[in-house]
Amino acid sequence: MDCIGLIREFLKDRLGADPEAVVPGALLADLGVDSLMMLELMFEFEDHFGIKLASDLKTPGTVGELVELMDRLIAEQKS
Amino acid sequence: MNRRRVAITGLGLVSPYGGDLADFFRRLCAGESAVRHLLTDDAPRPLSMPFVSCPDFDPDAALGKPLASMMDRFAQLGMAAAFAAWDDASLARHAEGNTRDRWGCAWGTALGGTLAYEKGYRELWQKGRERLSPLAVVLGMNNAANAHISIQLGLGGVSMSHTVACASSSIAIGEAFRRVRSGEATIMVTGGSDVPQAYGVARAWEALRVLAPGDADSAPRACRPFSADRRGLVLGEGGAALVLEDWDHAVARGARIHGEIVGYGSSCDHSHLVKPDAAGQVRALRDTLDDAGLDSSDIDYVNAHGTATAEGDPVEIAALKTVFGDAAGRLAVSATKSMHGHLLGAAGAIEAIATVLALREQHLPPTAHLTELDPACAGVDHVTVARQQPLRAALSNSFAFGGSNAVLAFRAVAS
Repeated sequence: MDCIGLIREFLKDRLGADPEAVVPGALLADLGVDSLMMLELMFEFEDHFGIKLASDLKTPGTVGELVELMDRLIAEQKS
Repeated sequence: MNRRRVAITGLGLVSPYGGDLADFFRRLCAGESAVRHLLTDDAPRPLSMPFVSCPDFDPDAALGKPLASMMDRFAQLGMAAAFAAWDDASLARHAEGNTRDRWGCAWGTALGGTLAYEKGYRELWQKGRERLSPLAVVLGMNNAANAHISIQLGLGGVSMSHTVACASSSIAIGEAFRRVRSGEATIMVTGGSDVPQAYGVARAWEALRVLAPGDADSAPRACRPFSADRRGLVLGEGGAALVLEDWDHAVARGARIHGEIVGYGSSCDHSHLVKPDAAGQVRALRDTLDDAGLDSSDIDYVNAHGTATAEGDPVEIAALKTVFGDAAGRLAVSATKSMHGHLLGAAGAIEAIATVLALREQHLPPTAHLTELDPACAGVDHVTVARQQPLRAALSNSFAFGGSNAVLAFRAVAS
């Protein structure tokens, strides 16, 4: 599963969000992601991709920014 | 001191029988036990004991998945009970503006999020995980139930939890009552919830040798308060809630008033952690009557703490005989724990509901399975079969480990 797939699955499970609404331009806040849920999402990413996220990571605003950030960290930490 | 009258306008619970409030009371009056045999798959040794569960409770269906997934089971049961009480009070779930800044929540729980913490320990120590979900703190905190209730119902006043072992929710109800009576709060949501099936908790109770034994066949009759052959208490999970409302506010909005809460007294035995003392209970009973402005002759029913332990039951009856004197023999007493079990921090709340319904319906629920009375528990009118009877006022007792005693007084309201 890729990054956007993980976000879609998580938000569908937790909020009943329509996967088609989870597009790169969508604001995470508009989808119902608050600060606590953001932590959960990061926890999921760490678990699923075996990466370690720094605690001072800047919080992304959109789905696209989150995907970009995670793709970059996964690539960095796998290399 | 300016004292407001306090109406009970909402009652709600997650029933171990699976039905609604009316069904719950009907089954209590039928003497029907909700106790079943609990057998888990825990390692190293499964739990195997009589227990009261809420098997039909579906948190996702009752609360919606996004909300349910933010809660441990004790908070789920509490939130569901609070929603039920709120709906019963015909209050809108959504608040307009800041109109509820003087409305609050006082919740009772003995164990709080123990089950959530236990899940965490399992992850770490049994499954070898190195970290926990970021939700672990908010799932486990003892004030999770009242926090969720206040958020969901838009209550801007005090939101607090009370942890006083088996008296937790009676004390929560009493403290909520005082807030409304003093005029500090217009409405208080109160009650309690607990989930004693946490492996470490249930094992700890077993070690105290106060749990009634039983298998799949005998479990429904396992809890026999006041009976000569009683063997101990039966733990149970659950949630129960009441809406306490300023009387004038309730009347002005045309609310249905189930009953009136009129008194609350509390005391500490200050003598022993687990051995109850009649003198401490007597003080709580007398304080409650004083607080309510009632005489012992005004009380027609007592919902006893009655856990069915060897030590506790005779002490409670001795306390009642001291307070009610020569009239004790005519005092109707029953222990509904014989059917719904001991919900620990939710016990006072579910028994308050049973007491209020008894007054409203003028119908006494019995102590189930009481065929041979222990002579040490004689001296009051033990209700062994439900009966219709004029009831003016009633008390509900909660006597906790630690020696903390709480008694609530309720009065019937002419319908």
